[in-house]
Amino acid sequence: MNKQKMMEKAQRMVSGVINLPTIPAIATRVASLLDNPDVEVEEVAELILTDQVMATRVIKIVNSPLFKPMHEISSLKRALIYLGLHRIREIALTCSIIKAFEGKDGAFDIKTFWQHSFGVGTVSRIIAQRVRYPEVEKAYICGIIHDIGEVFLSNYMQKEFNKIVELIKGTSHCFVDAEALWLGTTHCEIGHCLAKKWNFPNDYCEVIALHHEPAKATLDPMLVAIVNLADLFCSVRHLDYGGREWVSFNLAEEKSWNILQNYSPKLASMDVERFCFELDERVPEIQDLVDSLFEGLAK
Amino acid sequence: MKLTEKDFEMLRDFIYSVCGIYFQSSKKYFLESRIAQRMAQAGTPDPAAYLALLRNAVRGTEELKRLLNDITTNETFFFRNVAQLTALQQQFLPALIEGKAKTGFRKLRIWSAASSSGEEAYTLAMLLLEKFQQQLKGWIIEIIGTDINETVLEQARAGIYTTYSVRNIDEQYRKKYFTVDGQGRFILAPEVKKMVSFSRLNLNDDTKMLFMKSFDIIFCANVLIYFDTASKSKVVQHFYNNLQPYGYFFVGQAESLHGVNDKFKAVHFPGGFAYKK
Repeated sequence: MNKQKMMEKAQRMVSGVINLPTIPAIATRVASLLDNPDVEVEEVAELILTDQVMATRVIKIVNSPLFKPMHEISSLKRALIYLGLHRIREIALTCSIIKAFEGKDGAFDIKTFWQHSFGVGTVSRIIAQRVRYPEVEKAYICGIIHDIGEVFLSNYMQKEFNKIVELIKGTSHCFVDAEALWLGTTHCEIGHCLAKKWNFPNDYCEVIALHHEPAKATLDPMLVAIVNLADLFCSVRHLDYGGREWVSFNLAEEKSWNILQNYSPKLASMDVERFCFELDERVPEIQDLVDSLFEGLAK
Repeated sequence: MKLTEKDFEMLRDFIYSVCGIYFQSSKKYFLESRIAQRMAQAGTPDPAAYLALLRNAVRGTEELKRLLNDITTNETFFFRNVAQLTALQQQFLPALIEGKAKTGFRKLRIWSAASSSGEEAYTLAMLLLEKFQQQLKGWIIEIIGTDINETVLEQARAGIYTTYSVRNIDEQYRKKYFTVDGQGRFILAPEVKKMVSFSRLNLNDDTKMLFMKSFDIIFCANVLIYFDTASKSKVVQHFYNNLQPYGYFFVGQAESLHGVNDKFKAVHFPGGFAYKK
């Protein structure tokens, strides 16, 4: 299908929604504060503390097995010191996106969405480390946000979304192909429009737009390939939106695998089977984290 | 006895590197209790000493066999590996059948290479009867179960099962393909039984392995873990040679062929993977 037409369709869909959520100003303010090289941890902590929900979520994410602190961290300032300022931008943005999409009933349970998203984030980080991608945290956040277009479809195109879920049930058709066929666009183009609207950096936009077509990436092909691969692995290891689509792949035939092998030839000898078994072990951790992020917080 | 995280990881890594079977952290308690028993019997004071015994060139092999017997279960049951069966039903079998139908070669050959009492082979037969009867009309279907142990083969041929064996079967299948006798045993329907033939085969018998030709699907679950690296690699090479170019080779849920055979490529699907040429 014509990419240009799909993009135009996505734009029409996104601009057709009047009450589209905005990214809370605090994430932008945290980001611009962090742009100042002389910023003090206290200043950032003070700003985040003006949003109690965000402050609580930052502490929960820091204490999750994903970051593995030796002892429980209960103060925001210590959490920020532990994370390091370079990671705060990503965590603050994550918390903002969670908040932006909260409280609206969608076609899917938002928790299954976040489980997949945090799964892809976590696996992206692991792959980034293995291939020595220099910006591991960027891989993590891009993994988390790659599917934001899906939430739009789930929240604002419920009928169409449910129809696609029904259509592909029990078949081996991919969700993204069914979207293109039935909607004339996909979550990739829609996500791309949202990301541009929210002023996400260009490399984040590229991941959102091309995470199903890594070979087309031009800004940061390695980053797109990392997220594509992480997405594939999560889709076959129980971080798959509750199994709504049938995903199957042979690594040797995946473009992202070839792209990453060009950067890191050692990848060819990776024990992929063990990687899958280890990923299975992380699943409960990721589910617990997502549960905790929504626990006891007012919508 | 409690295994520390480090001891658990060391033992888990050792078992994985030698046998290719991965123990999830969720199985730590299980592994702990079995290892405690083995340690007591072997007279080793702590996990490190036990690991040293396993690594011992002389006494290690025997102890590893005993440990494996304790930590793996030889029992099998119908519809055991749901992820594999779903993959076969949803993707692999339709593709295989379509591909073969196009070439006009209407024959399907399936091998359960460590069939034990037949549950795996008969599960496949039921799946074909239930889901692919239409597409396979007029086809020759050969399902072969082999095992080294004559006693389990006799059980397989008899087709009489306990409640344990049928515990994972859908009510629909159970009603359709089993009857219950006076002693509460489950008797397999003749239409399923006649689809499978069983024979004795030692996977290490190179001559016999050479004759197991042209299979579309091969299963060999939870057996290769007992083989040493050299024989494992040899047996897997036989499976490779005996599999059709478009066929699939399945091992157990927690098993891996990494480092055993680099020609097989893993095909991933939800909850598992199969190997392909």
